[in-house]
Amino acid sequence: MKLRLAFVTPRFLETGAAGGAETLLKHLAHRAAAAGHTVEILTTCARDHFTWQNTEPPGTRLLDDLTVRFFPVNEDRDLETFIRIQTSISQGSPVPREEEEAWIRNSVNSRDLMQHLRASIDDYDLLLAGPYLFGVTWSVATAHPDKTLLVPCLHDEPFAYLEIFHDMLRQARGCLFNARAEQTLAEALCAFPPERGRIVGMSIDTFNADPNAFARRHNIQRPYLLYSGRRESMKGTPMLTDYVDTFCRRTGRDLMLVMTGSGPIEAPDSLLPHLLDVGFVSETEKHEAMAGALAFCHPSRNESFGIVLLEAWLAGRPALVSSGGAVLVEHCRACGGGLWFSNYPEFEAELLLLMDQPDLAATMAQQGKAYVQSVYSQRAIDRRFADALAAFAPAHQAAARAALVEQKETAP
Amino acid sequence: MSQPLFEIGADGIDAEAIVREIRETVEQKVRDGLLPDPAAARAERHNLAYLRDQDSLMEYYMACLREAVYVDINDFEIRERRRFGSGALKALKTTIWKLLKFYTYRLWSQQNQANGLLVAAVDGVDQKLSRKVAEQEARIQALEEKLAAIESAAGSNP
Repeated sequence: MKLRLAFVTPRFLETGAAGGAETLLKHLAHRAAAAGHTVEILTTCARDHFTWQNTEPPGTRLLDDLTVRFFPVNEDRDLETFIRIQTSISQGSPVPREEEEAWIRNSVNSRDLMQHLRASIDDYDLLLAGPYLFGVTWSVATAHPDKTLLVPCLHDEPFAYLEIFHDMLRQARGCLFNARAEQTLAEALCAFPPERGRIVGMSIDTFNADPNAFARRHNIQRPYLLYSGRRESMKGTPMLTDYVDTFCRRTGRDLMLVMTGSGPIEAPDSLLPHLLDVGFVSETEKHEAMAGALAFCHPSRNESFGIVLLEAWLAGRPALVSSGGAVLVEHCRACGGGLWFSNYPEFEAELLLLMDQPDLAATMAQQGKAYVQSVYSQRAIDRRFADALAAFAPAHQAAARAALVEQKETAP
Repeated sequence: MSQPLFEIGADGIDAEAIVREIRETVEQKVRDGLLPDPAAARAERHNLAYLRDQDSLMEYYMACLREAVYVDINDFEIRERRRFGSGALKALKTTIWKLLKFYTYRLWSQQNQANGLLVAAVDGVDQKLSRKVAEQEARIQALEEKLAAIESAAGSNP
């Protein structure tokens, strides 16, 4: 069964720092193309996720072996209205339905992209759109719900409680989730029908990293805890810097906090002698930093997959995660590769345990690695993705598939 | 769909059991009054919104809240990390801080006072309600024991 698939994503970057959801959609597009499906990417001309300015020229190009159609973001969106309502939503204030719609209509949308879909919708069997909170995703999913497979990358945040998204999730043909905790959240939020969800995720390639290379390069001579990713309060990094600062002062242990990624670091002055900010680094250097760390720490409550956590396990190190990150805890619980904390005393006790019991830490890391290699191998993802596409393929495609099977079975 | 994607073997490390044990130890320490110290409480300033959901750690949460509401408005050592022109930059920062302190000290100290009073009020309400709940629980237990005794007497004496 070969399908014609369009992947709709707000941004498509060949290289550089794309968001986790964009990386995931790009990955699935590649896997779909490798499986022989006809694949197109429908995206906007924007590259910067703060300004959403149209910097790419519109049109169709072959990028990264994929056909990518670029459409301009609407430039007449009412930013003032968008920001006003977004602020209310972020603060958890109740927002009426009409305000929710005004907010999403003034989010990142593209009339040209929607016009293309109206004219060419019969050319696609399925539209895979995500992440959930962008105008482009909402517009496509609400205009063509019977063809839309959402890749929502949902997590427990104020935006996930908006009615417009609950309707979108319920009406979509199906949803591809990254973890069971994400699907459980969708079911709890809006009575999402379980039979219309499939857990897929993305494969994480194995790698070899020298555990001493990073410490050698940066002249680090003490154990370090690593965080990789955006540095912002939504990711829990201010809490992490406070925790490590307190840990060093309370326990007297000589520990460093190493942070890779982008964004300013909010840290107390007393942490500065224990803090190394290396900023945005290559994948290789990130993997080396992981391999040499005492442990990887993911303090975020807002994750739908946690790619860096899985990478840390592949690098051979255990993890500490926030108990508020349901998906991260699900990974740790499933394999025993990490511990979760809900307050400072738990964080301190778990970190001391990993420092004082290197054998335990090593075993946990091995369990994590085995989990990633089993559940998130390319083969496993390809199988789950193929099953999901088969389950949600339009009826005429399913009939064609059944005919093909019958033909094979009756062949002499 | 209800089957987990992966499970550790019987000989693997059970993270759930480790976390449970650590939680029980922390809760016991809180009950014994060994936690929190002021440093640990201050570390929770970015986690307060989530701590309040943990019933067993209410006392810890209140201690953390008391530490977090008082904004530090005292003088601090002004540093400059840049090498070029660090002396001038440090002097500029010091002047700005002095001006800022002159105009805002009264405001922030009053705010700190108000914050402290609010936390004391919340603390008082919490203690009062906790006491009431404890009294009610003790009363219910006594009534249940009394009821059980009556039922047992009725059962043996039909």
